[in-house]
Amino acid sequence: MAALSEWQARLEETALAPIRRTGRRFWLLVAFLLAVIGWGAYAYLVQLRDGLIVTGMRDRISWGLYIATFVFFIGISHAGTLISAILRVSQARWRTPVTRMAEFVTVVALICGASFVIIDLGRPDRLLNVFVYGRWQSPIIWDVLAITTYLTGSVTYLLIPMIPDLALFRDRLGGSTSRWRGWLYRVLAIGWVGNESQKRSLGSAIGVLMILIIPIAVSVHTVVSWIFAMTMRVPWDSALFGAFFVAGAIFSGIAILIVVMAILRRAYHLDEYVTEKHFVYLGYIMAAFAAIMIYANISELLVHGYKLREGVEFHFRQLFLAEFAPLFWFYLIGGLVAPILLVLFPATRNVRGMVVAAGLVVVAMWIERYIIVVSGMRVPLMPYEPRDYAPTWVEWSLLAAGLALFALLITVFTKVFPIIAVWEVAEDHEATIAPHVPESTAAAETPKLAGGVGR
Amino acid sequence: MNAITRRAVRTALSVLAVGAIATAMASPAFASHVAASTTVPDGGRVGEVLRIAVDLRAEDGTQLPGTTVTFYLHMAFAGVAGEAEIGRAVTDETGVANLAYRPRLAGHHELRMEYATPGDGEVEVITTAFDVTGGEQLYQSAAGIDVPGVDSGLLMAVLALVWSILLWVGFRLVAIARAGSSSSASGPVQTQ
Repeated sequence: MAALSEWQARLEETALAPIRRTGRRFWLLVAFLLAVIGWGAYAYLVQLRDGLIVTGMRDRISWGLYIATFVFFIGISHAGTLISAILRVSQARWRTPVTRMAEFVTVVALICGASFVIIDLGRPDRLLNVFVYGRWQSPIIWDVLAITTYLTGSVTYLLIPMIPDLALFRDRLGGSTSRWRGWLYRVLAIGWVGNESQKRSLGSAIGVLMILIIPIAVSVHTVVSWIFAMTMRVPWDSALFGAFFVAGAIFSGIAILIVVMAILRRAYHLDEYVTEKHFVYLGYIMAAFAAIMIYANISELLVHGYKLREGVEFHFRQLFLAEFAPLFWFYLIGGLVAPILLVLFPATRNVRGMVVAAGLVVVAMWIERYIIVVSGMRVPLMPYEPRDYAPTWVEWSLLAAGLALFALLITVFTKVFPIIAVWEVAEDHEATIAPHVPESTAAAETPKLAGGVGR
Repeated sequence: MNAITRRAVRTALSVLAVGAIATAMASPAFASHVAASTTVPDGGRVGEVLRIAVDLRAEDGTQLPGTTVTFYLHMAFAGVAGEAEIGRAVTDETGVANLAYRPRLAGHHELRMEYATPGDGEVEVITTAFDVTGGEQLYQSAAGIDVPGVDSGLLMAVLALVWSILLWVGFRLVAIARAGSSSSASGPVQTQ
C-alpha cells in the first residue's frame, strides 16, 4: 500500500513538475523559437507586400514548399488522434503514457498545416472566396469541411480525456500557481469531482469519440490526396492515392510521435513512464507502415511504368535519374528501407535506434510530399519546355517559422497542460498490479486520481 | 514686287485655297465608302444571348449583302489588356450582319467591328458599346452518371451526422458539469 501511494505521488509530481518548475533553458528555447517565427513573420510581410513573385512559384509550377509542408503537417497530425484512438479501441494498455503527447501533436500539427494553406494563397483575404464562391463539387471544399471537422474532433478528443487530470491540477495547484492558470484549470475541469455520474458521462463521451475520430482522420488525408488525384495530371492520376496518403500520414505521424516522446522524456524526466517498450512498440508499428508504403510505391510505380502513358516516361526519368533522383532515392532507401532494418536488428532496437529511424522517416516523408507536389506540377501538360522550381529565402524562412511554431506550441502546451494522462496511467498501473494483490487490499489501494473511468 | 509677280502669287494662293477646299469636301468619301450603323440591345444580363446587328449600306443607300464583319471585344485579364475576336457574321440580303453573343462578364463592353468595303477591299471600322449586368455562375458541370442520392445532399447528411455526434459529446460535457455542481451542492467530495 505504501509502495502504491509512493508510486502515485511520484506520478503526480512528475505530471506537475513542468508547471511547477521552469528553468532558464526553457526560456532560451522559447526565445530562439520566437526569433525564428519573427524572421518568418518578416518574410511573410515581404510576401504580402510584393506578392507571390517573391517565391519560386510561377504559372507552370504553382504549388511548392508551402503545399508540400501543408500535406506534411496534415499527415503528422495523424500521430495523435488516430494512433491514440486505434490503441484505445484495441485496448492496448501500454498506450497510456504516450496518448496525451500524441493528441498534442495532432492539434498543433493541424493548426500549423492549415496556416500554410493561407500562406500559399498569397492574399489571405482570398480565403473568404472559398466560402463565398465554393462549390460542393470541389475537393477544396471537401478538404475545408474535413479539416474543420477533424480539428474540432481532435481538440475535443484532447480535452475530454484530460478533464480528470485538469481537475487534479486544479486541486493540487490551487493557490500555488498564477491566477490565470488557476482560472484555466477551473474552467476546463468543468466541475469534475469524480462521482459515478461524471465517470459514466466521461466514459461514454470518450467511447464515442474514439470511434468517431478514426473515420474522420482517415477522411481528412483521403480528401487531401483527392486535391491532387482529382486533377488531370499524369503523376497524380491514381485511385490508390487516398490509401497511399493515409498510410503515409500514419507512418509519418508515428515517427514524429517517437521524436516528440524522446524530447519530452529527456526534458521532463519521464523515463519511468515512457520506457523503451513504448519506443520499440511504436517502432514495430512504424516498420509495419514502412512495409505498407514500400508495397504502395511498388504497386503505383509498376502499374504506371508498365503502361507508360504519355508523360509518365518524363516523370519517371525526373524521379529515378534526373532532377529529383537524389531526393527520391533517399526517400526510398533512407525513409522506407532503413527504418525497417533499424527495427529488425536487435542491436538498434532501443530508444536511440527508434529515434534515429523516426528522424529518417520524418525527413523522408517531408521529402516525399515535396516530390509529389513539385514533380507532379513539373510534368508538362502541353508541348512546352518544363520549368524548374527552386524555393526562395521567403519560402525557406516560412518553412522554418512553421516548424518553429510547431515546436513552440508543443513546448507551451507542456507548460500548461498535463503531458501524461495521469488517471489513465494510474488505471493501467492498477490493472497491472491487481492480479498480484489480494482483492480486498487492491480495492483499498485503488488510486483515487479523478476516480478512473475504465476506458 | 511688280504687278505680274503679285498676280502670279495671288493666283497660286487661290489655286491652293480652292484645292484645299475641294480636298476637305472630298475627304469623307475617301474615309468611308460605306455607311454603317450598329444596333445593340439596351443593356443585357450575363449569360443571356445578345443580338448585335451591323447594317452596311453603299453611299447611294443600297444594301451591301455578302460582306464579312469581324467583331472584337476589348478585354482585360490578369493585367493584360487587348482585343479578343468574339465572332464573325456575313451581311444578309438586307445588308445586316447579326452576331449572337453571350457575355461572360458584367460591366461596360466596348466593341469594334471591322469589314472590308466592296470593290477596293479597304478595311473600315465602326465601334459601339453596351453594358451588361448580373453575375451568375455560368459554368455548370455535367455529371457523367447521375446516381440517385449521390449528390451534395449526401455530403450534407454525412456532415450533419458527424456534427450531431460531436454535439452529443458536447451534451455529455454539460452532464459532467451538472453532476459536478450537484455534488458540490450536496457536500464536499474528495477528488484525490
